[in-house]
Amino acid sequence: MDVPDNRAAVEGAYDDLLRRSLSKIKGDLARLIYVASTRDYNTGKYHHDGLAARFQAEIAGQALEMAHREIFHRLAECSLRELVGEVEIYVSSSRQSREEILEVWQKLEPYRVALPVDVNVAAAQLFVSNVKLALAILCRRQERQAMEEPAS
Amino acid sequence: MIGSWSLIAGVVLLLLLVAVVMKGWLAARQFEEPTRTPRELEEMETCPEGFVSKTFSRADWEFVRGLKAERIERLFQQERKRVALVWVRQTSAMIRKVMREHARAARQSHNLEFATEVSILSQFLTLMAVFGILSVAIQIAGPLWLGGLAHFAQRLSQQVRTMQESFQAGVLAKSQGSANGLAAR
Repeated sequence: MDVPDNRAAVEGAYDDLLRRSLSKIKGDLARLIYVASTRDYNTGKYHHDGLAARFQAEIAGQALEMAHREIFHRLAECSLRELVGEVEIYVSSSRQSREEILEVWQKLEPYRVALPVDVNVAAAQLFVSNVKLALAILCRRQERQAMEEPAS
Repeated sequence: MIGSWSLIAGVVLLLLLVAVVMKGWLAARQFEEPTRTPRELEEMETCPEGFVSKTFSRADWEFVRGLKAERIERLFQQERKRVALVWVRQTSAMIRKVMREHARAARQSHNLEFATEVSILSQFLTLMAVFGILSVAIQIAGPLWLGGLAHFAQRLSQQVRTMQESFQAGVLAKSQGSANGLAAR
């Protein structure tokens, strides 16, 4: 397959991924975690059964990588206020308890694993810093709510 | 008597200045990114365009201040300092790499222009001085007051990069032209 054909195929797979999977996930942070979870820790290659069945495995992998980078850049460029909103959406839509997620995310920092490969170091550092701050802000909101509840 | 007091004050001030510079230098070293191979550096993405505006702007700081939480304000200042220092180190490493490439290309060139070389060298030295000042100033005051200087450094870095790229393209074109000429003979 030559380069233009390959690019068209990757874009087709990318559109398919957006339409069928990513559009159903609420919030960019959740999308980032989802796409990062399709990447093999040992090889760094992306795999998605449905997408690989409709396209070739390699094309599907490239489409996933493209989506991963795009979502990461959107998140790295958003303001801290917006990122707090993203973390809030992620925490509220999860099945685990809010307290548990906030605590574990602060301790383990799992969002560090969700970074695309070879991404700009400073942009990655900004993203990690902003998530850390967003978690601290949400924890504080939670503490304040807990303090206000017994009083009311 | 006044002379000796002035001398003591001068020495104290000098020591303070050295301490501040050392602190900035040590902090910058602390955030030094792990050694990367030239290939890894080439494959790494360039810094996103809005990065400097975002890191050195006060918009996020205003949001954090509005929360009225000292702990979060301290965390914000600490985190932004770290991010800004990573950017300084990364951009300064990138410029040093550009200059190494330029030196390599200049060695192959047979008709170097003195004015262009002086201009590139002076811009490089200015940038290195600005990065040094930024490293220390970020440590002391944080990045929020240094947006102007950071934007200046970014623009100048881009300028040096563009000059080097066009210089290298010129050297390549000339060497290909002379190779074609030799082949035609």
